[in-house]
Amino acid sequence: MSETKDNRLARWAITAPPTLFLLAFFLVPALIVVLASFQYPGEFGGLAPLFDHGDGREHGLTLENYRFFASDFLFTEIFLRSFAVATASTLICLVMAYPVAWLIARSPKRHRDLLVLLVILPFASNFLIRVYAWMIILGPQAALARMFNGVLGAFGLEPVSLLFSPFAVLVGMVYVHLPFMILPLYTNLEKHDPVLLDAAQDLGANAWQRFWRVTWSLSLPGVFSGSALVFIPVLGMFAIPDILGGTRDMLIGNLIKDQFLGVRDWPFGATLSIVLTLCVLALAGFAAWAGKARRGGA
Amino acid sequence: MRWLLLIFYVGSSYATDTLYLYNWNNYISNATVARFEARCGCKLVRDYYADNEEMLAKLAAGASGYDLIVPTGNAVEALLRSNQLRPLDKTKLNNLGNLKPEFLNAFFDPGNRYSVPYAYTVTLLGYNVEKLRALNLPTDTWALIFEPRYLEKLKGRVTVLDSQRELMAAALRYLGYSANDADETKWQQARDLILRAKPYWAAFNASSYIKELTVGNIWLAHGYSSDMFQARADAEKAGRPFHIGYSIPREGAVLALDSMVLHKTGRQPELALRFIDFMLEGPNSAELTNLIGSGNPNQAAMRYIDARFFQTNADNRAVFPDASAMRRLEMLRDLDRKQRRVLNRIWTEIKLR
Repeated sequence: MSETKDNRLARWAITAPPTLFLLAFFLVPALIVVLASFQYPGEFGGLAPLFDHGDGREHGLTLENYRFFASDFLFTEIFLRSFAVATASTLICLVMAYPVAWLIARSPKRHRDLLVLLVILPFASNFLIRVYAWMIILGPQAALARMFNGVLGAFGLEPVSLLFSPFAVLVGMVYVHLPFMILPLYTNLEKHDPVLLDAAQDLGANAWQRFWRVTWSLSLPGVFSGSALVFIPVLGMFAIPDILGGTRDMLIGNLIKDQFLGVRDWPFGATLSIVLTLCVLALAGFAAWAGKARRGGA
Repeated sequence: MRWLLLIFYVGSSYATDTLYLYNWNNYISNATVARFEARCGCKLVRDYYADNEEMLAKLAAGASGYDLIVPTGNAVEALLRSNQLRPLDKTKLNNLGNLKPEFLNAFFDPGNRYSVPYAYTVTLLGYNVEKLRALNLPTDTWALIFEPRYLEKLKGRVTVLDSQRELMAAALRYLGYSANDADETKWQQARDLILRAKPYWAAFNASSYIKELTVGNIWLAHGYSSDMFQARADAEKAGRPFHIGYSIPREGAVLALDSMVLHKTGRQPELALRFIDFMLEGPNSAELTNLIGSGNPNQAAMRYIDARFFQTNADNRAVFPDASAMRRLEMLRDLDRKQRRVLNRIWTEIKLR
């Protein structure tokens, strides 16, 4: 009996630190954000007090911030646009990452570690520096823009700017998040037993059927985790639209950042964060439900 | 933030005294810092911000321990009215008389009980001199960034500041209103003006316009005089075949007067006062202007400022505006929370459309 007791103690000792960490640094801040979304903004920034200080200042809780959000379709529109950008980035990442992950998983074992290392290598330099590098690559003086505009010119079209455009934002998003798609796909694809494909071939499946019915089906967990790892960070990203975006590329991350670092409206920033979190949770819930329904139906 | 400062504090406790200065990026010369440290036998620890709002947000989130901050007028107003500043003991400030009277008694602190002017910039237009001349464009009007008839020649070559207040101020001045006008219908007129011009702009840009001007990607930028000074210097240094110039639009513009203030949570108010008095000395104050091309509110500094600042040209008139230009400059006032929200909605609309 003492062994189970030891086990329980050991399990507790291992799980307690991360649990406490999450409680202290995730749950508590999240609750603070929820509370802030129901408070008034402070006259000079920050939050108005919760309790009356007898100085005539606004205090207590209010639905005003949510009303402000609902008062203008503008804010919802930014949400929709952000979801569109996140969906596009995720799909592009998936299409680009899948063959790469497959190639790494199918390459000889002695090369795999090196190839994975190459995927991770960009993380060795700062993310902002890498995004700034794209400013130079996409800039009007650079070879890429000159070539592109040369082709456009040959067809008699006006030259366009690659930098400061939705295109640049998408390039930045895909570039930064691509490894987050490759790695989970690779860890999944690496575990596939090649014998399954042989069996499928023996049973008369053509190349497409072998991919779709065997490889793709088995890789779905990797596809889902990769998509989540790309979709969610893209949704909240503000640095890339700030640096590479033009005059119409505000995303929800920029709007939230502005509330805290631009216009001193913390409660509205908190409200936007809560709405965003709820949207993501709803989406995750829907994905889980769809996955279950699919498995149930199969 | 408190713990971070604590680490600094413990780490540097070998030195006798430590003064914590929370300042704009690149807003004091290293030579000045070294001279102050030598004189006071203390250590000056610097922390930086790139935007008043960033500084206010950090303080609102509970950052403490800064002895000195150098905010712009409207941020001084916010700090003062939220009771975060320590009044100055003027008996310790022997050099206060060095300041030019026109920079004293500003709206945010009548009588200068809490703030001492440090330096100023003007929000104006910086431009590629050769390009604008070749396109036969004027250089001294906001029409350049707002009027399609000019913008057609500049499409995709213009950036404006990514700042609600600054861009609205430019639009309001162009429409003939005060930069501080908080009337919603006037804000809407300004919004319409901005939305009409927006398709011609390359980006809202708060930081990289210096580089873009220097490289030649951008020909016209709405930005701060000290940034334009740097863009011009960088273009010269890189041997570009063009020059960067800047001038104050004739419709008037925003003057950002940055002042030294003592934060209540600072632990060294005496030392902070010594620093302020030190910065009021002509040579020390002049050093900043010579380094970054900021405007200088200090009369005693004038004889130490490089001669090139006094050659007659538009650039220098922007650093040291004459009396008539001065009358057309306005300092921004802080908005109350209701006004901030109205402007916030208008700004979001500007960004989205």
